[in-house]
Amino acid sequence: MLTLLEILVYGAVQSAVYALLAIGFSLIFGVAGVVNLAHTGFYMVGAYLIYTFFSVLGLNLYFSLILAVGLTGVLGMLVQQFCIKPLIKSEYSVMIITVALAMFFQEVLLSTYGPVDRNLTNFYDATYKLFGLVTIDAQRLITLIVAIILIAFLWFFIKHTRFGRAIQAVAQDNEGAIFVGISPNRVYLQVIFISAALAAIAGALIAPTLGARPHMWEHPLVRVFICVVLGGLGSFEGTILAAVIIGYTEVIVSFCLSSYLGELVAFAIILFVLTVRPTGLMGKRAVS
Amino acid sequence: MKQISYTADQISLPPSPLHWKRFRPHMVAVCLLLLVPLFIKSTYVIDLLILCNIYAMFLSSWDLLTGYTGQISFGHSLFIGSGAYTAGILSFYFQVPILITVPLGGVVAALFGLLLGIPCLRLKGPYLALATFAASGVLAALTAVFWEYSGGEDGLYGIASVSANYVVKYYWSLSLMIVICGFLLFLVNSQYGLILQSIREDESAAEASGINVTRYKLITFVLSGFLAGIAGAFYSHTQMHVGTDQFSLHLSIMVVLMSVVGGLGTIVGPIVAGFLLILLNEWLRVIEVVRVLIYSFSVVLILLFIPKGIVPTVISGIQKGIEKMKSPARS
Repeated sequence: MLTLLEILVYGAVQSAVYALLAIGFSLIFGVAGVVNLAHTGFYMVGAYLIYTFFSVLGLNLYFSLILAVGLTGVLGMLVQQFCIKPLIKSEYSVMIITVALAMFFQEVLLSTYGPVDRNLTNFYDATYKLFGLVTIDAQRLITLIVAIILIAFLWFFIKHTRFGRAIQAVAQDNEGAIFVGISPNRVYLQVIFISAALAAIAGALIAPTLGARPHMWEHPLVRVFICVVLGGLGSFEGTILAAVIIGYTEVIVSFCLSSYLGELVAFAIILFVLTVRPTGLMGKRAVS
Repeated sequence: MKQISYTADQISLPPSPLHWKRFRPHMVAVCLLLLVPLFIKSTYVIDLLILCNIYAMFLSSWDLLTGYTGQISFGHSLFIGSGAYTAGILSFYFQVPILITVPLGGVVAALFGLLLGIPCLRLKGPYLALATFAASGVLAALTAVFWEYSGGEDGLYGIASVSANYVVKYYWSLSLMIVICGFLLFLVNSQYGLILQSIREDESAAEASGINVTRYKLITFVLSGFLAGIAGAFYSHTQMHVGTDQFSLHLSIMVVLMSVVGGLGTIVGPIVAGFLLILLNEWLRVIEVVRVLIYSFSVVLILLFIPKGIVPTVISGIQKGIEKMKSPARS
């Protein structure tokens, strides 16, 4: 009973982080057709920036959070404007340049901070007992709550505001959007800002639990990619569902068997899905 | 189909494979490489050149799959690693001689190529990249699960060396490189290479003109896997070690980046890039702190400003120069 509850709670935290990352990846993928392999690079940059502002410079927590997230968003816009935009016609070139950029970010951080793990102090030091049984630290609880609020907010933003409708319009029909006076380039910049900022928030929230290290982008990259493809290209609900599936499978397998098998199962799932149904769970059939 | 831009002059008609004149620069390069140990006595430099030879094999076998057939693979370490681990395990536990382990490594990698190739037949673009990513991830995770046999994170140390003498080692690596890369060059200049390029340019058109696309794609997967597996097996013998880094995402990414810097779909480009980038990486050691930083930044710049790759750009530059020299003489 105890393990079951633990799995429920920890699986939820894991899924929330994956969902936060995967939503951003899926957004830019669905809207601009950009497979941004530097996405988890932003997550890493976010983690390091919050470390710099909060732990090294000793700024106020909220101020440093805003600064880290905003700066990462701007970095995303720079990447979009100067690296992705010239190559956007070719899917493959974009993948290659973004992965090169992720390596570049890694090297910048490696030469600035060295190869050691950087540990952040928890934002709020406390442990709680959920349901009177499961102990969980405040940091994980904050991660879970913030992720849920942000995802709900983003969902509302995309479905029910003018901005969101412009994003949807560009995703559905690029030229049609131009005809009604929406500039796709501007929308791409907005979307990559949101996506990079979400990744940075995920990085900042997870940094106290996992620590910031220069290779932290590789592990979630494949997970996030898996979530997006499993959920179906550009499908908001599908991506979250997939993040929950991947998050829980990993936690369940790690709890019951071993953490190595957790990785194996995630990869096996996606290979199976790609073989049987390449458009994902909620994807449209129209993908070539 | 969206792809890295290929210009029309890259899709040339196949000359006869016996058209030696065209391969003069290649011959010169091979002769130079053969002479290297006569002039350079430093073990360090020779070791570096061995590494260059091995990377040349990794990159050119990837180029056959991605540059020529257009099947972008982000999981080349699957082939390299399976070859390396096959050779490593056979040599470590059963003391099998190298002459058997290296071809067997290739065979095992070829089998993985077949296994991966079948589900990948109908995947394109990011989906294909993800499938190849995931496949190499599965094997990396398997080495962790069976850590009693594979040595886990540390890998296996004490695999039989190619030879104690580094000059002999160098010549072995060089001859293997010449055989594999020469075979690839021969292949892509034959009709087979032309068929692969037609698949890359337009799959349905290729199919409409009577090419069995499925068969050619599968053959390419198997072949690319086989060659990379041989190179990987040889690599584990030169390092006398196999480890999880041979299965890592990092290695796959390096293979992709280095090949693109050299020039996709040229075979020669990736080979040259392998040599240049590994040597550059070592020369930059003088400024250790920012070494990899400069290295990765220059890769980004090359991708942005010379998307065709170094070798095709340099070659077309030289050709233009020659034409300019000729044209005033004619008039």
